[in-house]
Amino acid sequence: MREAPGNDGNGEMSESGTRDASRETLHEPRLTRDASRTTLDAPVAGQTVLVIDDEPTARVALVARLKRLGYRVLQADNGKAGLDILRYERPDLTILDWMMPEMDGPSFCEVVRQDPALLSSQILMMTSNDQPEQIAEGLARGADDFLSKAASKYEITARVQAGIRAAALIRRLEDVTAEIRRKQEALERELQSAARYVESLLPASGNIAPGVRMVCLYRPSLGLGGDLFNVVPWSDDLLGLYLLDASGHGVSPALRSASFATFLRRESLLRHVGSSDPGAVLTEANKHFPLTENGHYFTIVFATLDVRCHTLSYATAGHSGAFLHRHSGEVCRMARPNLPLGFDPSTVYGTEVLSVEPGDRLYVLSDGLYEVPDSTGNLWGQDRLEQLIRTLGHRPLTEVLSGAVTEAVRWLGHEQFPDDVAVMALELTEADTHA
Amino acid sequence: MAMQTKERPVANGVVLDLAGDLTYANREQFKTAVEAIRQKGCRHLILNMAEVRFVDSSGLGLLALVSQNFKLSQAKVSMLKPQSYVREIMSLANIQKLIPVYDNEQDALAGQQKAA
Repeated sequence: MREAPGNDGNGEMSESGTRDASRETLHEPRLTRDASRTTLDAPVAGQTVLVIDDEPTARVALVARLKRLGYRVLQADNGKAGLDILRYERPDLTILDWMMPEMDGPSFCEVVRQDPALLSSQILMMTSNDQPEQIAEGLARGADDFLSKAASKYEITARVQAGIRAAALIRRLEDVTAEIRRKQEALERELQSAARYVESLLPASGNIAPGVRMVCLYRPSLGLGGDLFNVVPWSDDLLGLYLLDASGHGVSPALRSASFATFLRRESLLRHVGSSDPGAVLTEANKHFPLTENGHYFTIVFATLDVRCHTLSYATAGHSGAFLHRHSGEVCRMARPNLPLGFDPSTVYGTEVLSVEPGDRLYVLSDGLYEVPDSTGNLWGQDRLEQLIRTLGHRPLTEVLSGAVTEAVRWLGHEQFPDDVAVMALELTEADTHA
Repeated sequence: MAMQTKERPVANGVVLDLAGDLTYANREQFKTAVEAIRQKGCRHLILNMAEVRFVDSSGLGLLALVSQNFKLSQAKVSMLKPQSYVREIMSLANIQKLIPVYDNEQDALAGQQKAA
């Protein structure tokens, strides 16, 4: 990706390479063969060398030699003009004199190494005073290699080829990096689109039925999450609700969750299970969703809420995050110790029934909210979450949820939850028209 | 925290001493160590959890997977001395239904389960 050549007329610069230089290279057939063997990809004729030297005789001689080798050659008679060419032409190799007016060779190198657009340029520094200390200084200030002005034509050729070889490797690396970045960006766009789809499956906070208000929170750790929840009125009096957590992170759990959500639709449940009894639903789901070959599985809490009879029927499968915060202040942990889905196909999940009243609140959530470590690895844990729910009492649900997130973040020490966080909170309001 | 695994042959089985966290980050290491033992025809794998501080949801799935795979090979898996937090996770997920939990190696080898 080279930019168009500049034309600022600074110094003596010209494009003096020839594209049909191959005929000239026949004068030195051995070297040409070496060049084609040792350089990567492009033929010698496609490669550009910039020569920066204020001394015309030396410059002209070197330019002629490089042209005979088949390179396209650009030239400048001072460092400043050379920089302009470097910027616009991005030659494969720059051969640079040490002593020059305005900007000397080492200063040129320093400017190049501090410029993100130029820093990968290959620079071969040339000098007649090639003492070890001077070579060390030149390398330290940014040259890649050294060439004595007294070097034989074979050495010059070999060093130029070495520089071109390094330049080709760097170019390839830059191209591959750019390609990876492009693919990464495309992949991220895909993931974002998938994440939007998953979020479109989630219910919106608000009054979901007469006398029932719902507030929810969803924070996937990787953009695309494996937690999913929903609450759907199945009849005037009956709400079906669930929160599931697919183990693992990223695309695969998100796909498995979406497929599970389809299974949990009412018409699907009536077809596969023949009832909406929570225990029966999980017992059947356990057979439909076995452990994957990588040991991935679901935990879930599934419930039905009868708003007329004030009963909450539910079943859990390896899922701890289910609390009932009663109006009286009591917090009831609803989960029963039992296997997550897919661990054992013969598991039978039972239905628990609780009576509920206006003012009671139901929290279903994934462990991503409370299984967060502090800097020493201690987990925030369910006990602290339960205490927080108690402490915040019957403040508005949104405040309880944001308070829980704030506390978890404070414990964690940063905002990046290690796992997906999903919470759905339901409150039976006093304005229950069926009461 | 990374995980170290050490295999120790005992009469009629193999004890795998685990140290570190049994988590998503360490899943490949755990799977490789356990699979190597299963391939050698081990009849009884005893997972020594004494030095395991944390098991996450992926770790739990791996334990279930190991239990299923050993069952297919007509072999069994037991668990030794889980720390209190790990024990709590195991018991909430009812893992002892699949993998019996023991407090010492002799009981594990004899297959005599005490109340975990």
